[in-house]
Amino acid sequence: MKKDINIDIHHLTRIEGHGNIKVNIKNGAVEECVWQVPEAPRFFEAMVKGRHYSEVARITSRICGICAIGHTLASVKATENALGIEITPQTAKLRSILKHAENFDSHIVHVGVLVAPDLLGAPSVFPLVATHGEVVKTVLRLKRLGHEWGSMIGGRTTHPTTVIPGGFAKLITTDELKILKDKILARVDDLTALVETIVSLASDIPVFDRPTEYVALHSDEEYGLYDGCIQTVMPDGSKEQFDVRDYKKVTNEWVSPNSTAKYTRHKLESYAAGALARFNNNYEQLHPEAKKIAEVLGMKPIIGNPYLNSAAQVVECAHSVHESIRLIDEILADGGIKEEGIVQPVKFSSGTGSTEVPRGILFHEYNYDENGFCIDGNCIIPTNQNHANIQADFDKLVPELLEADKSKEQMALALEMLVRAYDPCISCSTHYLNVEFVG
Amino acid sequence: MKYIIGIGNYSMYDDSLGIRLIEYLEENNLVDGFKAIDLSGNALNIFSYLSESTDKIIIVDTARLDMEPGEYRFFSHEKVKTLKELSGITTHEGDMVKVLELAGKTGYHIPEIIFMGVEPEEIKSEVGLSEILESSLPEYGRVLLREIML
Repeated sequence: MKKDINIDIHHLTRIEGHGNIKVNIKNGAVEECVWQVPEAPRFFEAMVKGRHYSEVARITSRICGICAIGHTLASVKATENALGIEITPQTAKLRSILKHAENFDSHIVHVGVLVAPDLLGAPSVFPLVATHGEVVKTVLRLKRLGHEWGSMIGGRTTHPTTVIPGGFAKLITTDELKILKDKILARVDDLTALVETIVSLASDIPVFDRPTEYVALHSDEEYGLYDGCIQTVMPDGSKEQFDVRDYKKVTNEWVSPNSTAKYTRHKLESYAAGALARFNNNYEQLHPEAKKIAEVLGMKPIIGNPYLNSAAQVVECAHSVHESIRLIDEILADGGIKEEGIVQPVKFSSGTGSTEVPRGILFHEYNYDENGFCIDGNCIIPTNQNHANIQADFDKLVPELLEADKSKEQMALALEMLVRAYDPCISCSTHYLNVEFVG
Repeated sequence: MKYIIGIGNYSMYDDSLGIRLIEYLEENNLVDGFKAIDLSGNALNIFSYLSESTDKIIIVDTARLDMEPGEYRFFSHEKVKTLKELSGITTHEGDMVKVLELAGKTGYHIPEIIFMGVEPEEIKSEVGLSEILESSLPEYGRVLLREIML
């Protein structure tokens, strides 16, 4: 359709951080279509230089306040890989449960607070208190669970304090683990209610498809979250695996003029990371209860609709709940929490660690000298890995919306919802108060 | 139970004041008779502390108060309305005033909550704290300890 449309969205709402959408259509021709991320360099890789290995995760956990658990875990895994530290099975299980807490916590907020308003026709969660009060209360109860779940194992969810190279500085006790299990079980009905709400809204999720390469952690033993190899899956279902230490063969970072954050690419010009990528790469490893929800939502790999990333997050919430209960039961059946010493280094060299954070696969790599001090480091975060894919989605979606004779407002909403579906986490957000005294 | 809760972003210079103050209290072994919580940007996590067993919460954050950089003011959340133009709410872009409003509207127990707002010198994408705020940490600590015990 030959029309002029100008979309200039500064500070897209309901995402973590700041991003802009610019679309300029003149006489039916797309002149400009850009997803912009004005993210400044963070210099965390510079900050870890010269730091003792015991300090590195404390620093890198501050890359993100939402995915702090994931950054901590990827960091200590990289350090442990460099120092020849083999953690105990108990440590691995507790870290998995902690990883599930973060995933659950973040997904609940994303789906319930950031995405739900779009699906329910509201500008934010606030009007939903009046129209969908029980849904909002359910979301807040589930959010509280996520925070307490992570805090009980990690010390706190933001910049966790208990996870250190070689083990835990402070272990959750057996009694606390039982309490944690009870807390999770107490919210299963709430999760079921939220799933039912999402299922009822599933037909409102926009339909869009673009052949995409998906990259995620993969393990044959468990759904790729805490551990595994790197796996990519193409639109035709073909898969390829890489050892985590070969992550650069997948990420191939490059600089785009549209973004201060680097882009990545592998077999195609971009790839996607996140819940949908994990779903497409690890479907067979989903807990049966999670698979049931996927089935109800009509989801089976390979899914190429980025808007369904939010639905994949709901599936993962169910997986995290039931998988964590299973892991807790395993620990309890084995006699409960055992006091273990911290496993010590046997060498000092280079190492790589990877874990999945809510937004996708995360890589940390460090090089240590013979005294355990960091020589250099490299971190590649998932939101960076998704920027190029968001741009590629825009490039396909905008002409389609134009062809469908969508209005400017409809087009803007479609683009906003697409970015939100990726659940980007951009670091430049602020929290200062800006108030006027009224009393 | 009483809580001092710091909020902010470690990577946004003076916006990190709230969480650096929590670190200051812990590093100097000043946490006694209350708990010091680093909430960072996760404003929605405050719900875990809004229970019947909570007597008082002081939330520490940088705040635009039309004061000089480094100056501070204590105020109740009921005495202010937010000027932040957010059409939504996120855990990153958390406006605590809005979060407390949400808590109230969804039936949560709201204990006595006091904000300690500190006027920033600069908020920018950088790790660190302006000299005026950094040098004032001991003073902020003293007034916080006095206020939490009231």
